[in-house]
Amino acid sequence: MTTFLQFVIDVLSLGGAYALMALGLVIVYGILRLVNFAYGELIMVAGYSMYLVNPSGLPWLAMAAVAVLMAVLAGIATDYVAFRPVRAKSVTAVLITSFAFSTLLQNAALLFISPRPRNVPLPEIFSETVEIAGVITPARNLITIAAAVVLLTLFSWLMRRSVLGIAMRAAATNFTMARMLGVPANLIISSAFAISGLLAGVVSLLWIGRIGAVVPGIGLEPLLIAFIATVIGGMRSLQGAVLGGFLLAFMDTTLNFTLPQDLLKFRDAFTFSLVILILLWRPQGLVSGPASGRRT
Amino acid sequence: MLRNLTTVAILVGLILGLVVVTNLLGVRLFDRLATNLCIALVLVLGLQVFMGNSGILSFAHIGFMGIGAYTSAVLTIPTQMKGMSLPDLYPVLAAVEVSPYLGILLGGLAAAAVAAVVSYPLMRLSDAAAVITSFALLVVLHTVMTHWSAVTNGPRTLFGLPKATDLPLAAGAAMLAVVAALAFKESRVGLLLRSSRDDEVAAGAMGAHIPRLRWQAFVLSALFAGIGGALWGHFITSFSPKAFFLKETFVILSMLVIGGANTVTGAVVGAMIVTVAFESLRALEAAINQAEMFTEQVVGLTEIVLALAMIAVLALRPGGLFATHEIGALLNRRARKKREDG
Amino acid sequence: MLEVSGLQVDYGAIRAVHDVSLNLAEGELVTLLGANGAGKSSTLMCIAGALPATAGTIRLEGADVTSARPEAMVRKGVATVPETRDVFPDLTVGENLQLGAYTRRKDAAGVAEDRARMFEMFPVLAERGGQPAGTLSGGEQQMLVIARAMMSRPRFLLLDEPSLGLAPTIVDQIFDMIATLKRSGLTILLVEQNASKALAVADRAYVMRLGKIEAEGTASEIAAATDLKALYLAG
Repeated sequence: MTTFLQFVIDVLSLGGAYALMALGLVIVYGILRLVNFAYGELIMVAGYSMYLVNPSGLPWLAMAAVAVLMAVLAGIATDYVAFRPVRAKSVTAVLITSFAFSTLLQNAALLFISPRPRNVPLPEIFSETVEIAGVITPARNLITIAAAVVLLTLFSWLMRRSVLGIAMRAAATNFTMARMLGVPANLIISSAFAISGLLAGVVSLLWIGRIGAVVPGIGLEPLLIAFIATVIGGMRSLQGAVLGGFLLAFMDTTLNFTLPQDLLKFRDAFTFSLVILILLWRPQGLVSGPASGRRT
Repeated sequence: MLRNLTTVAILVGLILGLVVVTNLLGVRLFDRLATNLCIALVLVLGLQVFMGNSGILSFAHIGFMGIGAYTSAVLTIPTQMKGMSLPDLYPVLAAVEVSPYLGILLGGLAAAAVAAVVSYPLMRLSDAAAVITSFALLVVLHTVMTHWSAVTNGPRTLFGLPKATDLPLAAGAAMLAVVAALAFKESRVGLLLRSSRDDEVAAGAMGAHIPRLRWQAFVLSALFAGIGGALWGHFITSFSPKAFFLKETFVILSMLVIGGANTVTGAVVGAMIVTVAFESLRALEAAINQAEMFTEQVVGLTEIVLALAMIAVLALRPGGLFATHEIGALLNRRARKKREDG
Repeated sequence: MLEVSGLQVDYGAIRAVHDVSLNLAEGELVTLLGANGAGKSSTLMCIAGALPATAGTIRLEGADVTSARPEAMVRKGVATVPETRDVFPDLTVGENLQLGAYTRRKDAAGVAEDRARMFEMFPVLAERGGQPAGTLSGGEQQMLVIARAMMSRPRFLLLDEPSLGLAPTIVDQIFDMIATLKRSGLTILLVEQNASKALAVADRAYVMRLGKIEAEGTASEIAAATDLKALYLAG
């Protein structure tokens, strides 16, 4: 029973983190049909911001707020540097510019800060452990679950009830038509990137909280997770991305619990093989996106 | 047909010219650069075969380069060396030792085989999902290479490959790659694939089964990648899985993007330009570090400049330098115009 | 009110609209006729700001709006209903209407009032208010997009082939609605392939063929012209 509860907590906390990662990616893709390869670097930016702000001695929450703000700004910067110059050109062009921007940011961190890991301040509470029904788990896991629930609820409310949310959902279906109703394109796009940055910032705090240090390449793993969760969820569906995140966490955790020791290091290979099987069965992903009849 | 012959002649001529000039100069550094360039040509042309014809970006290409390199390594490292380089290698393979030339070929075939088996599901995905999944595939290949210690020596450097790649071999491979890439582009499969980019429904009505066409292009491109990887392995004689990941993907991609992904000419020209730029920037970095202009080592400058260059090219000339027409077609057009005017 | 002069619209190397000039006075309903591929939709979408003009000018009440973006056109009182009948299928009918009033979102009371009015004018939309717009029939969707366009309280409506793909009885209803809108003082540019229906409601008409204007005149003049068939069929 305790193993089962341990499993559940692991899946929920990992799934929460994965779902947030996926959401941050899909919100830009859903509206702009653009895959943001620099998304992982938003997480990196937040991490390095924490490192750079640390000497100031501010309380952790204040530093965290700065980090999230920097991620938001980095998200908006991605729009201006990697997307706007090439948006009107081909879809592939945008993929590549965001990949180039990602390389740029990573190497900038390499050049101007350091290739070596840098410590990131963590609040006391992250390292404390909590006991629930006989299971001992880091408080961080519960905080992750809570943060995921709060953010996902907020996000869902935003999308369903606010005018901006409705406009964004409309823009995701048919951007030109939304503009013909007076919805300002630039506002929608900047909002998407800003929200993406916000989610990346929060994820960064939770994710780096596991490791305690930041390196230039730290964004790769979350990026991959976001990518895969989005693809299995169905590229254009917000709910799909969340579902994909939890499903991926479920697969990862199951493999963690069941793979024999010497195969454990191949866990990612197994996970992705499973993903490829899912895609073989349903190439469009598990949840169908907004109906549009056009090529995604 | 004439246009294609002109293109082949010019591109092959460029490569030949490169070989001749390098030999004349006789500087070992240039020899190394030229060989690296020819190997890069094989790799970029492989990427062009898939990307240029299907319109889909594949991040997995460098992973297949790794398969080629490791396959050839396992098959060609002298048996005595294997005891040291690959202590845990399966006895069956430990006994095998073939000529590097065969190894290079088998490396290519191994890469193509893996691609054939693994990639079919990817070909049914939408463009964005396909790109993302190819990225995941790269990571999978990298993970396997890093952890399958018995065959790859794990994350550690694998050494002991016979140095079989010299400039003539690499240049020969590059010239073959040019011809093959162009032949594929103009073949029935290539034409159907390219037409399907513009209109899937119409192409389907013509009998094109798009996933299958893409798959064929992908397998062929993996063949190129595997051969390129094995060539590189036999040039550098030692490497680790780190050599087959994002940095290299970025460089190869920049060659194709800057030159023009849709044309073979673009691939060749892009490879040449980026190789020159890359080596110059690296040299600049080294000089700056030697002169100790800054307290910290300058690292990453090359990549930053390349990244900016890629963004600039895509913003100003999204198709690259040779966006639609091969050089043969361009020259023929100009010749025809002259005839019509004069 | 609207003056288009020398308009040219290209799709890459293909010229869809070639030197088109037309004008509308306030309160007029002008229809743009022609066969498939004549360039009518391209002209309309260019006026709406959704397509760039390669050459020529578009003036709205004297102001140059040739390069205005679609959002800007809405703010100037222009509403567009494209031929593709783009409802947002996953948004409800109500949400679609709400989005139509995006430019007036600060005036919550006014928007609510207009919504009520639309539901009165189109009772079938009221019935389906909470349903996703994608579940509506073709005719209902057409009513929705027209109602949605009206939510911005435009003075000028661009309508692209509202009768496309609809059953004859529904087409009658749609055109009744268009006549009602005209009577309320709205200036309308109507692109249509169904010439007889369009000419019945219009004040004036232009006929396009292969990207150029081949004929213009009052609705009755054009209706009487015998070479209309030739223009349609030969094109």
